[in-house]
Amino acid sequence: MPGAAGEQSVSIRLIVNDRRHQLETPAGETLLGTLRERLALTGPKEACGEGECGACTVLVDGAPVASCILAAGSVNGRTILTVEGLAGTGELTALQQAFVSHAAVQCGYCTPGLLMVLTALLDDTPDPSEADVRRALAGTICRCTGYQQIIEAALDAAQLMIRSATS
Amino acid sequence: MLGSNPARSDADAKLRGEAVFGADLASPGMLWAAVSRSPVAAGHIRSIDVASALKVEGVLDVLTAADVPDGRTGVIVNDIPFLAVEHVAYEGEPVAMVVADNRASAEAGAQAVGIDIEPTEPVSTPEQALAPGARLVHPDWNRFVVAGGVDIGRDGNVVAEVVHDPGDLDEAFAAADVVVEGTYRTPRQYQAHLEPKMALATYESGRYTIEVSHQYPFRLRDRVAQILGVAPSAVRVVGHHIGGGFGAKLDVSLEAFAALLARRFRRPVRMQHTALEERLVAPCRANAMVAVRSAVRRDGTILATDVEIVSDSGAYANNGPALSSIPMFVFGSIYRVGTARIRTRNVYTNTAPTGAYRGVNGPWLVFANERHMDAIADALGRDRRDFRLASLARDGDLMRNGQPLEEVSILREAFDRVDELVPWRDIVSRNQRQRDAAAPSSPPAEAGADVLRGAGQAAAIWLTNPMPGHATVKLNEDGTATVITSATENGSGAVATGLRQIAAATLGLAAEAVTITMPDTDATGYDAGSQGSRTTHVVGRAIADASAEVRSQVLDRASQMLEAVPEDLVIDAGVVTVAGVPAAGLTLGAVAQAATWSDGPITAGASYVTPTPPHDPACATGMLIKGWPTPTYHLHQAEVSVDVVTGRVTVDRYVVCQEVGRAIHPDAITGQIQGGVAQGLGFALSERVDLDHGRYVQRTFKAHGLPLAEDVPKVEMIVMEHADPAGPYGAKGAAEPPIVPVAAAVANAVSDAIGVPFDTLPITPEAVLEALEAEPNGEAVARAAREPVLNRDGEQERDTTGRAS
Repeated sequence: MPGAAGEQSVSIRLIVNDRRHQLETPAGETLLGTLRERLALTGPKEACGEGECGACTVLVDGAPVASCILAAGSVNGRTILTVEGLAGTGELTALQQAFVSHAAVQCGYCTPGLLMVLTALLDDTPDPSEADVRRALAGTICRCTGYQQIIEAALDAAQLMIRSATS
Repeated sequence: MLGSNPARSDADAKLRGEAVFGADLASPGMLWAAVSRSPVAAGHIRSIDVASALKVEGVLDVLTAADVPDGRTGVIVNDIPFLAVEHVAYEGEPVAMVVADNRASAEAGAQAVGIDIEPTEPVSTPEQALAPGARLVHPDWNRFVVAGGVDIGRDGNVVAEVVHDPGDLDEAFAAADVVVEGTYRTPRQYQAHLEPKMALATYESGRYTIEVSHQYPFRLRDRVAQILGVAPSAVRVVGHHIGGGFGAKLDVSLEAFAALLARRFRRPVRMQHTALEERLVAPCRANAMVAVRSAVRRDGTILATDVEIVSDSGAYANNGPALSSIPMFVFGSIYRVGTARIRTRNVYTNTAPTGAYRGVNGPWLVFANERHMDAIADALGRDRRDFRLASLARDGDLMRNGQPLEEVSILREAFDRVDELVPWRDIVSRNQRQRDAAAPSSPPAEAGADVLRGAGQAAAIWLTNPMPGHATVKLNEDGTATVITSATENGSGAVATGLRQIAAATLGLAAEAVTITMPDTDATGYDAGSQGSRTTHVVGRAIADASAEVRSQVLDRASQMLEAVPEDLVIDAGVVTVAGVPAAGLTLGAVAQAATWSDGPITAGASYVTPTPPHDPACATGMLIKGWPTPTYHLHQAEVSVDVVTGRVTVDRYVVCQEVGRAIHPDAITGQIQGGVAQGLGFALSERVDLDHGRYVQRTFKAHGLPLAEDVPKVEMIVMEHADPAGPYGAKGAAEPPIVPVAAAVANAVSDAIGVPFDTLPITPEAVLEALEAEPNGEAVARAAREPVLNRDGEQERDTTGRAS
């Protein structure tokens, strides 16, 4: 039972959105629980709790993971990026701006996970094909949009980023 | 402004992870509670052992039926107990509540409650419920009270019955050249909104406050009050961002539990469904059976249609009795079906109660109507599109409720528009050539020989929900405007862009200068929530009217300040000028300031309810929905490939032609059509909600088979505008109906491709392979498909019979 009273706690260090944290977490607490309950980062969403929908996705050392099924203790010392860390206090990233201009946000509950998956994709594959984008989204369920505007936003963001890198 | 695509007001917060959804809420000092639920579909409660739950560290108390208000409540039929008393009627029915000082302890405590139930063989299906001598799901059904005391035809396991019977069908059937019969079966569909249901309740000064993510805060207020036995004004509902709803967040779920506990413990109480609870108690789209029998003349005239419908209410009534009116607006409203008898029964079973899911009943009614149109066309040897065009209802025809179809000719325009984009004859002849090439005489290695292609169409007329809305518009002293309403934004953009654009266009402001409040039942007039695409039309109309009044007040004040008559003034980009004298303008801020400190602040409110269309009140018994207001018109066309080796269906091309009145935010409509079609494709091809002895089989997202990014094609769209004089700038509803015709169009396309009728959903690869194997002629079936069914003896699977008169 995650976080049930009376269990031992574990001491972990995390770098989350460029800030270092030393935390006491109950043994077995998920990374999602740690981020939401201890660091008040509620951008990563709690949804299926089974690692199937992707709403809780964060980047661990740049790779997307389902934080709802990952023990916080297992990422001790690692670098975490959540949706809050994408733009920080500044301007939206090119990907986030493309989500605005392509009307790719509806209810918004899956949006944080989608952004993390696509941020990792564009980092690895700066000029992805449509098929690359669809494949990257395979672990993220969006019930509202039917995906099309999200896919178009990602492809558009990639081109914007390529243009701004070469100009 | 209107017809452009400004950014949604909530996009930035949602993209930064800053938007606070219901499931993100917390309150200092809050307790957590969880529900202990029945592990069986039906049975007698022998005992409830709370001792081990009380031993879980952190658990404060366990409550059972003895500790809560007795009596039953509901939306239409008061049949739901607060907690199960003596009997359980479905797996997941609440039996006890556990309160703890943290979430994990509450959930562990709920698991630890010992519920000892003597199981009963459940009434698992509507067929079982209606069988002679069936066990009654509720032996005391006759003691349940119906809202308003109206007769909805309840009888034992029948929750509601709607009967439309003009009485002269036999004559028509005797005169028929061909009688075509079909039975169309569809499963439940799970809303699969990602944000779990939750509640945060507090109790202070004799009133309850419930913070929640909910589609219909005022219904929630009234339902919580009903359950707790208090006045609605003793309950305040405050809405937060909603992580999807699709109809699942229209009724009460955990909120009354949390409210009762907040009062009892004088602490905020937070509750939230676990992932399993979400599935066990989701108010899925009802599973249904629609049997249609038509008397047809050889020239294609449908003389009469006999429709028998059974839908599954589950263990309690929810809104099924009202939804049982909807067949009256489908059969005979799209195509002329002659004299029609329609009987709809909504029945109790020992399964989780069904409820509202986007397009309530529409996807399965249109599936039946359109599969049946294909069956008749095949029986007559007619081209399916030609037969549809010949059968289309005409302006002035009456719906079965006696309501005139005023603009149904828009459907004919839709058929034309789709044909301009993708000519039907081209598809049909291409598919036929491809089938011929796939014949056994062709070389086996021929590319694509294992793939058969087909096409299907489906049309629909859908309503815009008419229920009441209110808005107050105030001009702020800085020249911006605030709209105060409890309309809810559940993702469509109706509030986040549509309402904002309507206010801005009327006031002469930029969209960014308009703020819309979050729902709060203490602060706003009644609003009937996010359902049936009503927000843009109904609340938009209220906002347009209130904004026009604000504008009039602005012009009155400005005319004094500018020494000009109001008729000569124009407002643009937040500045009032005398027409032709742009230099001497006043900002709306200056006008608002002047008004506030002289006559008082500029503000206005307006209400709107769509009037019920003219209809015949005696058209049927048991009708709770009397009319079909503000209809919109839809034609979908699907092209599919079916792999006869794997059974997999691929949607190659999907075209939607949809009439919206007026497109306020075209990109938002694009998103609603694409998303609605995606949900419809899931219903047609992949989604599973199976019941085994009353219990749900699928218990994870993966098992439900929801469409993923690799499964959904880009939908091609034609948006038609026929401005509705009653709507704000002509707008009607747009968000709900794109799901309605999808399964019908796809099933028609798959049936066309392989020549085997698919009258049951979903059309999974297994179902395709089974259907092919069941055919005596194997693959030859696909080629024989184009032969009229009248020439095919013994074709029982088609549920189609022909007989000469």
